[in-house]
Amino acid sequence: MSKTPIIRMENVCIRYGRGPEILSNVNLSLEKGSFHYLTGKSGAGKTSLLSMMYLAQKPSKGTVSVFGNNVNFANRNALAMFRRRIGVVFQDFRLLEHSSAFDNVALPLRVCGMNEKEIRKRVNELLKWVEIDRSPTAITSTLSGGEKQRVAIARAVINRPDVLLADEPTGNVDNDIAPKLMKLFVELNKLGTTVVIATHNENLIKEFCYPCIHLKNHGVTIINPEDGDEYAEI
Amino acid sequence: MQKYSNMRHRELPLSKDSSNLFLKVMISIAVFLFAVTLSGVLSINSMLVNWNASILGSLTVQIIPVNGVDKLKAKNETLVQQEKAVAMLEAMPEVQKVTPLNDGQLERLLKPWLGDDVDLSNLPMPRLIDVKLKKGAEVNFLALAEKLAAVAPQASLDNHKLWLNKLINFANGLKMLALSVLVLVIGVTSGAIFYSTQTSLGLHKDIIEILHLLGAKDTYIAQQYAAKTSVLGFIGGVIGVACAVPTIFVIAHLAQQIEGGIINEARLSWGAWVAILSLPLFSMLVAMQTAYYTVKRTLEKMM
Repeated sequence: MSKTPIIRMENVCIRYGRGPEILSNVNLSLEKGSFHYLTGKSGAGKTSLLSMMYLAQKPSKGTVSVFGNNVNFANRNALAMFRRRIGVVFQDFRLLEHSSAFDNVALPLRVCGMNEKEIRKRVNELLKWVEIDRSPTAITSTLSGGEKQRVAIARAVINRPDVLLADEPTGNVDNDIAPKLMKLFVELNKLGTTVVIATHNENLIKEFCYPCIHLKNHGVTIINPEDGDEYAEI
Repeated sequence: MQKYSNMRHRELPLSKDSSNLFLKVMISIAVFLFAVTLSGVLSINSMLVNWNASILGSLTVQIIPVNGVDKLKAKNETLVQQEKAVAMLEAMPEVQKVTPLNDGQLERLLKPWLGDDVDLSNLPMPRLIDVKLKKGAEVNFLALAEKLAAVAPQASLDNHKLWLNKLINFANGLKMLALSVLVLVIGVTSGAIFYSTQTSLGLHKDIIEILHLLGAKDTYIAQQYAAKTSVLGFIGGVIGVACAVPTIFVIAHLAQQIEGGIINEARLSWGAWVAILSLPLFSMLVAMQTAYYTVKRTLEKMM
């Protein structure tokens, strides 16, 4: 029995203004509970593809469906409800710099209207896990790059999303914490979360073997670990 | 363990917006103007109610002095006609009270026009009869005038309608003008809140984008703006009313200096004062609604 596609792209093209197409005729289907890396050279369109997945932009052409709904025809409230089910770690973190680490991580729960008692419990637990528990009230702008990245990851996973999209999530963290964060993504995936991680980190891809959505020549190719040399060359 | 407050969290740093002071001052001025104009409208309204009541509840009978060479005889003739008219009026079931004005009262009425030094006893003085009608009584003035003419040929009936209607029309015009000023004040204030909110949305575009990407609905963002702007609206309203109340007292004091009783009819009732003192709540509501719908409409244009 085939699994339900949680994100589906059909003949998707994306271009900015009158510029050339960044992505052309992309057809992609991510099943529920799958784990993929998103790879490709700089400028290949990784961030553009991810931004369509987290519903920050609509395609110039083609159809994007999320949770079985065509987002081209979804209204604003429906889009908001879909986004609540998608956790995102942005490459530039996109934290609220004037707020504390605690408030940043609590944000997705507050947006959903969860009560403060439950929020405190969940956020403190997760901050401890990502080792930010000594400075939860510190204003985010005073945190180091690595700390910000951990806060961004904690914010993305706090509400146990159905889909986790991460753009270079281990780019700024120490070598010893990167595998720990990857293990968190793997654990979430085991619980049923669909994970897509955009990365350049070859070591990570080799250590945690999962299929790659490889972007090349404006299109996508799925490369599995079983593909041997091709996978090794990513 | 770190304690966190249970207050509603606001992710948008709106309290640091530079337009806050402008809005507070703007709303204060608007509420001040609104309160003073509203007090004018309500005063005019009370004046109109009093005038209308006087039209409905009273009339004046004037006995024009009988002309004659013998002044004493003419005066007595006028008084006889007055007595007949009084007797006839007192017999009417619609009439509550009939008061013929005595010489002293007539002199006091004429003094502002003729001065203190004139001997009124040498002048042919008309006699006046003040008639108070019973509440709800309907009088056929034409029939009454005819009856009066029968008993006192020199009597003429004045039900105040003619001159009072002109005053009422003038007062109504003033009232409409004041109401337009109120609408204008609300429009200008709402416009200022609209543009200031739009500027703020532009300033906090990045944070709003993050909130959207995390699943916040437009209402979540609009509520933060509404909450902040309502506080500004309330503070501005309190300042505006605090300045307006002494101003209203000063205007009322100055109005009382005017003789003639017309302006004295304009008094603010308790209800009017409650309306004026509740203006901060009104300004809070207007500010809140304007900010809320501005944010909703502006965000709808984004993805």
